[in-house]
Amino acid sequence: PFANNLKMAPVLVLWLAMCLGATWAVDRGNFKTCDQSAFCKRQRALKPGDSPYRALLETMELTNTRLTLQLINDNNKVRLLLELYRLQGNITRVKINELKPLKPRYEVPDVLIRDPPTEPLSVLSQDESGVVLSLGVESQRVIVSVRPFRLDIMEGHDVLMSLNSRGLLAFEHLRMRKDTGAQYTLVVFDFQATKEEEEKAEEGMWEETFKSHSDSKPNGPSSISLDFSLPGVEHVYGIPEHADDLKLKTTDNGDPYRLFNLDVFQYELYNPMALYGAVPVMLAHNAQRTTGIFWLNAAETWVDISSNTAGKTVFGKMLDYVQGSSEIPQTDVRWISESGIIDVFIMLGPTPKHVFSQYASLTGTQSFPPLASLGYHQCRWNYNDQEDVRSVDAGFDEYDIPYDFIWLDIEHTDGKRYFTWDPHKFATPKEMLQGLMDKKRKMVAIVDPHIKIDSNYKIHNEIRSRGFYVKNKDGGDYEGWCWPGNAGYPDFTRADMRAWWASMFAYDQYEGSMENLYTWNDMNEPSVFNGPEVTMHKDAVHGDWENRDVHNLYGLYVQMATADGLVQRSGGVERPFVLTRAFFAGSQRYGAVWTGDNAAEWDHLKISIPMCLSLGLVGISFCGADVGGFFKSPTPELLVRWYQTGAYQPFFRAHAHLDTPRREPWLFGPENTALIREAVRQRYTFLPYWYQQFYHAYRTGEPVMRPLWVEYTQDPATFAVDDEFLIGQNLLVHPVTEEGARGVTAYLPGKEEVLLSGLTSTPSRSTTIPVFQRGGSIIPRKMRVRRSSSCMEHDPYTLYAALNARGVAEGELYIDDGHTFNYEKKEFIHRRLSFSNNVLSSVNLVPDSHFTTNSWIERIVLIGSSKPAKVTLKTADGNESQLEFDFDASMSVVTVRKPGMNAGADWTVTLQ
Amino acid sequence: NKMLSSEMCIHILVIVLFCCGSADSRKVRGISSSYKRFYREKKSFLCIDGSKLIPFEQVNDDYCDCADGSDEPGTSACPHGRFYCTNLGFRPHYIPSSRVNDGICDCCDASDEYNSHARCQNTCWNLGQRERAYVEGQMRTLDEGLRLKQQLIEEGVLLWREKQAQLRELQQVAEDLQIKLEEHRRKKREADRFKEQTLRALKGGDGGKSFHLKRILICLFCNPYSISLDEVKAEVVPVHDEERHLGDDEAMVRLKFLTINIRKVCWVLIWLQCSTKSRRMFCFLSDLQKKLAIDYGTDWEFLFLNGQCYKLKVYEYMYTLCPFNHITQKSTAGTEVTLTCGTETALRSVKEPSKCQYIMDFQTPVACQPVLKQRGVHSEL
Repeated sequence: PFANNLKMAPVLVLWLAMCLGATWAVDRGNFKTCDQSAFCKRQRALKPGDSPYRALLETMELTNTRLTLQLINDNNKVRLLLELYRLQGNITRVKINELKPLKPRYEVPDVLIRDPPTEPLSVLSQDESGVVLSLGVESQRVIVSVRPFRLDIMEGHDVLMSLNSRGLLAFEHLRMRKDTGAQYTLVVFDFQATKEEEEKAEEGMWEETFKSHSDSKPNGPSSISLDFSLPGVEHVYGIPEHADDLKLKTTDNGDPYRLFNLDVFQYELYNPMALYGAVPVMLAHNAQRTTGIFWLNAAETWVDISSNTAGKTVFGKMLDYVQGSSEIPQTDVRWISESGIIDVFIMLGPTPKHVFSQYASLTGTQSFPPLASLGYHQCRWNYNDQEDVRSVDAGFDEYDIPYDFIWLDIEHTDGKRYFTWDPHKFATPKEMLQGLMDKKRKMVAIVDPHIKIDSNYKIHNEIRSRGFYVKNKDGGDYEGWCWPGNAGYPDFTRADMRAWWASMFAYDQYEGSMENLYTWNDMNEPSVFNGPEVTMHKDAVHGDWENRDVHNLYGLYVQMATADGLVQRSGGVERPFVLTRAFFAGSQRYGAVWTGDNAAEWDHLKISIPMCLSLGLVGISFCGADVGGFFKSPTPELLVRWYQTGAYQPFFRAHAHLDTPRREPWLFGPENTALIREAVRQRYTFLPYWYQQFYHAYRTGEPVMRPLWVEYTQDPATFAVDDEFLIGQNLLVHPVTEEGARGVTAYLPGKEEVLLSGLTSTPSRSTTIPVFQRGGSIIPRKMRVRRSSSCMEHDPYTLYAALNARGVAEGELYIDDGHTFNYEKKEFIHRRLSFSNNVLSSVNLVPDSHFTTNSWIERIVLIGSSKPAKVTLKTADGNESQLEFDFDASMSVVTVRKPGMNAGADWTVTLQ
Repeated sequence: NKMLSSEMCIHILVIVLFCCGSADSRKVRGISSSYKRFYREKKSFLCIDGSKLIPFEQVNDDYCDCADGSDEPGTSACPHGRFYCTNLGFRPHYIPSSRVNDGICDCCDASDEYNSHARCQNTCWNLGQRERAYVEGQMRTLDEGLRLKQQLIEEGVLLWREKQAQLRELQQVAEDLQIKLEEHRRKKREADRFKEQTLRALKGGDGGKSFHLKRILICLFCNPYSISLDEVKAEVVPVHDEERHLGDDEAMVRLKFLTINIRKVCWVLIWLQCSTKSRRMFCFLSDLQKKLAIDYGTDWEFLFLNGQCYKLKVYEYMYTLCPFNHITQKSTAGTEVTLTCGTETALRSVKEPSKCQYIMDFQTPVACQPVLKQRGVHSEL
């Protein structure tokens, strides 16, 4: 009662303001439009028309693995070299480079997991107008047309994809600057150039300024472009990261989608601006076929999309159909990159799952994460000190909410020197980590790739003395401003630098670290507060290359080196967990990503679905958005809805900005605490299913969180759905993302199989999360929710079988130790569970696997079953026993009581 | 055959326990003595909420049958069950049954981890001892704190009385003043009226003695009324210009009349002198009233904090707490002060869970409550 009368007067409360502006929303002026990016402007000025390129058939060479052919630009006579490969698994690779570039052009290393194995190509026919090559399978052919040069990939009579059909192949050849070596240049390269061509030395070719930043461009213009036409396609997806719908929009009336890793402060939704990561992979889908385009280029890239049906209304399309006058719908795509070469992988499906496996065969699959990382993560910028960590940890126990990881943001360090701890606030980190370990919980601490320039800082001294920093154009160490003030940026493109970085995670190097400490790589676009577009200068130097060439790769390398470090510190035994903000194609191999600094707004909750779906389509399954929103403060309703959504997204972490009030789950009254607790607990009951999905993603490259059309490929009603999604094949989730919503309308696809609301009911009062189990599926769950996932290791399973109309259901059960690489040595249990003819059985899917578990089957729930007379269990040794069961006639649910068999054993349960 | 092992284990365990002649400890596991009556060995068990009747062997058989979790007090099978740690030698308490056999030692008697990989030691005796020592320390602190508090209460009471007396005195003075003031005001109004009349008379009347008149006016209308003097002067000027002459008698009468009236006006001057002093007095009075209107606790034990400030340095920041200080300061929005019992009065800790939101721990003997003492004594040690 007296507390109200007491007031305090902080005599000195100093805060280092983080320059967080009061105004909301992105400052668009900080980021380039296509018009402000000289190469994009030049390229986009080129309109579709006849290509100046001609194939020189006489130069064609066909070996067992590839076809090469020269192309000539009839305007300037510059020759290009086309390489065509047929890759195993129905992939065609097209590479185009200058035949004789002035100096080598950058080819992206380290993204492909190996040299993709090839298959032989053969010439089917040839005349002066072109060549027809066989692609081996399914009567697929590539037609190489000579004048103008174009490629058409056919199957039977259908054109699947055409390249340069709109004549937008454009290759800015390297050249000498005219005012320095003009004569030489003229002779060799522009010998027959017309006067027009000569005058084309446009502004921005040799130097470009944006705001106060100058880009010196010592190599001059070097951009490349190619167009792809997709007949019969109205839906294209992918090319993350953008805060936009799942189905990509046409870009005719605005900027192209931009791929350039940037730290965008307070990003805006529903536009094609670049964000933190870039995966240059696009998927095209129609009811007959799914294909993919992987444009392997790490430079700034823009993607234009146009469609001949985009402007038409549904009615217009119908009219076309009725009148039979419709042209075939077609989507045209154009890729533009600032430097490097054209190296494109055309993945020909035909199904979405084929495309996923084709892409996985090139760049690898999702790393198999430690089981605990699929639990709930509690983060905040910042948990202030060890006492704060202890009390938040205790709060979860007090309010009986499970969690696995608590996170420390930048303030935990000694003055933003990563790999160190604040000597006052985190004086005894091992004590803190041990305290968490005692509860089988873990911690993540941030390690960013900007290194404080401070001669008393070991990490800096070592990087400097080894010459590992990125250099500026003049050869000195590149310096920029970030959290610590003046900072250097290690050159992660160097393998020796990455090896050294990885070694810094050894327990004896990273003081205060323990085996339950994992890592978060933020700001790895890289973020440079005083750089152009808040990132590194494009003319900064990474060995032989400019940042211009490698830019979008930097973040991938940072996460790669960090994950290697975590693997190495355990002697290669333990799986790493590393979260990254920046990413590229292949980043799925190293851990998780999140959608960056979002905001506590309903629209940001909504956009988390398409953003993660888009990432899943291009291989990155382990995706999540900051639960609650990073900037601003959520209303309790929004926070609850966000937990309910996040509980059904792959990476489930709450996070909050330093300036926002505290928002641990128990701070919003008992009712909201109960709702959040229920959402988190649901997540934990489904952990066996999540884990199995991630094992599947690791094996196949299929996304864990996937759009409906991936499973219901022939149902056009699903093609643009991005307010609901599937987890694996068997769970459909339609989160509530509307303020004040009393219900949702979920689209339940599927013809034969009845979808059952086996888990919760559709009316979505704030207490229910609209989640549906597919009829015909079996989902293993662990219903005993404990403090953390590790505490649930030996717990028994409940099998939820939702029978379809034919009374059949199938599912899988995957179990291993949850944290080591021993699964690679087949130390796991992987079983097929199937129910048909009233018999539920468990069969070993991998007979040579070996793992034992203490877990047993405590309950079997059969949804949609009729009442049996009796239920019997038969074990592998032939013993039969009768089981008790309950029958709920209103829901047609049979619950078999305590069958008790070990989860790793063979058994059958028969309903009679 | 592996899959049966866990079941068999339990059977073996049960048999062993029966052999030992003790009661089936599996059945009673996780139950407090007050609940034991629900778990008497019978043929069947009625869930405590009455929802279901189950065979007694299904009690603590690691499968949840009752919606209220009452059939599994000793296992983790029910989602909302609770497990009773007897904790002999320490404090008994309930834990959520999800903490049974999860590999983490929760009960100090290790009873929650009877079937797990965790090797829990019985630490109840040590904990109990530590607790006892702690409680003893707390009790000493409490005793000392209560003694100090009593002192502060006595001082507080004295101070309170003193202030109250002062207040009464001041109120009396104020009352008197009020009366006087009313009187003055009345007289002032009168004087003003007379003045008006006089001036009017001067204006309209004879001007023969105007020279004298002016001098008297200057003499009597001393400084504070100089503005009025100006007014009068202004009024007098036209009189001076007139060529009429008064007889001496008439002039004297006028002058006398004026003098009397002007003396009355002088009351106003006295009132004016009083007013600044009285203002100060009223200010002081209202300040005292406000101070005394604050809730200083039932025994005025918090009175001594008024006017004091306490400082604490946390990392690089200095915090100052001035209790009862009503002056609004910058960035104090959202400050929560918790009071804890201690023998000294001091600011013990300041936390800033989120930016500009502070939680302060303020220790003082007056926060010591005998209730705490009772609770301390009550713990089963």
